[in-house]
Amino acid sequence: MNRLTNTLEDLKNKSKKALVAYLVAGDPDIETTLELMTVLVESGVDIIEIGVPFTDPIAEGPIIQKAHDRALKNNVSLKSIFEMVDKFRKNDNDTPLVLMGYLNTFIFNKALIEDNKNDVIDSVLVVDIPGELKLKDYGVYNPNINTISLISPTTKKDRIESIAKNSSGFVYYVTLRGVTGASNLDVNEISSNIEEIKKHASVPTLAGFGIKSAEDAKLLSQCSDGVIIGSSIVQMIEDSSQSKEFDKIRTYITDIKKAIS
Amino acid sequence: MKLDKNNLPDKNGFFGEYGGKFVPETLMYALEELETTYEKLKNNNEFKEQFYKDLSEFVGRPSPLYFAERLTKHYGTGSIWLKREDLNHTGAHKINNTIGQILLAKYMGKKRIIAETGAGQHGVATATVAARLGLECHIYMGSEDVQRQSLNVYRIKLLGAQVHSVDSGSATLKDALNEALRDWVTNVDDTYYIIGSVTGPHPYPMIVRDFNSVVGEELISQSKELFNSMPDAIVACVGGGSNAMGAFYPFIKFNETRLIGVEAGGEGVETGEHAAPLNDGTPGVLHGSLSYLMQDDSGQVKGTKSVSAGLDYPGVGPEHSWLKDSGRAEYVAVSDDAALKAFHEVSELEGIIPALETAHAFAYLDTLMKEFDKNSNIIVNVSGRGDKDINTVANIDGIKI
Repeated sequence: MNRLTNTLEDLKNKSKKALVAYLVAGDPDIETTLELMTVLVESGVDIIEIGVPFTDPIAEGPIIQKAHDRALKNNVSLKSIFEMVDKFRKNDNDTPLVLMGYLNTFIFNKALIEDNKNDVIDSVLVVDIPGELKLKDYGVYNPNINTISLISPTTKKDRIESIAKNSSGFVYYVTLRGVTGASNLDVNEISSNIEEIKKHASVPTLAGFGIKSAEDAKLLSQCSDGVIIGSSIVQMIEDSSQSKEFDKIRTYITDIKKAIS
Repeated sequence: MKLDKNNLPDKNGFFGEYGGKFVPETLMYALEELETTYEKLKNNNEFKEQFYKDLSEFVGRPSPLYFAERLTKHYGTGSIWLKREDLNHTGAHKINNTIGQILLAKYMGKKRIIAETGAGQHGVATATVAARLGLECHIYMGSEDVQRQSLNVYRIKLLGAQVHSVDSGSATLKDALNEALRDWVTNVDDTYYIIGSVTGPHPYPMIVRDFNSVVGEELISQSKELFNSMPDAIVACVGGGSNAMGAFYPFIKFNETRLIGVEAGGEGVETGEHAAPLNDGTPGVLHGSLSYLMQDDSGQVKGTKSVSAGLDYPGVGPEHSWLKDSGRAEYVAVSDDAALKAFHEVSELEGIIPALETAHAFAYLDTLMKEFDKNSNIIVNVSGRGDKDINTVANIDGIKI
């Protein structure tokens, strides 16, 4: 069974909320990303989303855009990301790993996704495709990797229903109109939309985009099955790229974990 | 199934295998809303009357089809005719599309207009129509283009719009598009995005083509009137491909007319330093549609090189990819040097200073005119005038203005 499905079921049985952390592979470099993945897991992260750098990341705000640029300067490719994940799996065979990126990368590197050597990756999240479509609709198919569907505040009710019904892994609810790291959360709108999704989805619904403080995380975890944190972590990674001191990240994650427990 | 070349895109926005709607979920509703509005209005008489009235009274259409006597003599083969889009209000074909799209925005009740621009012509055309309706307008432009097209930046500001200089990525047209898409995702409820070329997600490639097809429609009647036959060839430059698509589209069904798109060859296609995806690219997804794309061996979008800001784009409209694969249109590339030479030549021979983009189409005549005899008629689509490029060309020629 898929690690992602396992983990989410396990959390559900324990009535716990999921904590998902995002970082960009190769920022500041592949070795550090590998180290950071372990730091995240040790601090209480349940699922890691690995950002696959792309030259034109249209859904990202400035913080994550810059991280993509830094990673691309290091010539990070999907191939080197698979090699990194392979190393990660030598010490951790439980933490679900989700690749988050842009369609062109996955189509172009179709063979890598279809191969998924040693089953290291559990799921793919394609930011720039409509919610009801899966990677297999674009000719990339691997039965052991699911495509996570996104639903946004502008998704209409009939589409919410069809996307939610056909989703696997989890439903990613984009909490705001905007790019990653923006700050215009509308908690009332979010909770009513997630309520609507949960009527139809057989998988958990997690909330992401714009969640920064432990307070945000707490509020959103009350109406969802978990939260996804990206830009704040990526900013801390940038700040610590020279010192390689990750205590601030550890403290931040620990606090969020407490807030949603 | 036989695809009717004049009946594309299909209902999902595909031209053969190209096109589609590859966007973040947040934009899906906005695209559906746009598609529904357009389908409702495109055959509405009142809407069409308003569109053609604005084109006639505000833009100054129809633009002439002009016999280029000295250029024709220069080559000594077929007759060369110039479709004078440079004479339009604001100086390029870009205004045709913005006149149409601003009407859509108005019908949809949108209060805020955004657009990307490369050479600045689409920015000027958008700021112009927004000013006319008193709508708030934001133009995204790569910081490199802000430098090399400073005249247009000032024009946009004079028209009351705000210019946002984009520093990310390669700081050119593609990055301006990225930033405009980010703005749209954020302000989707009250904002209309006027895309300036036949690129982007469905329905944009279709809408921009349809509005700009007024160029090709006029060419059909002007050709009959002036030389009593269909032209033997239409030559147009291709960046995203809107001026070419507007001229080509009504001619797709007339197989006797060769359709020739000229891409930016930069330092030369063989050097890899260019902006010619149809000549040296592979299918990929950028800015919401699948089309030929310049990408590296891991699927990243490659940087482009062209003396012309309006052609400096790694992708191309999906319908051009379809026309290329189906063989209905031909796509070639000419270098920066050849375009610059044509820029000077046409200025001196015809008294028309063409845009650097347009100069690419003229440059290809060196090759093309050898293939024709004296009885043939060749149309060059003069997509815009070159006033905006004076500083760039002067710099290259080592002249201080």
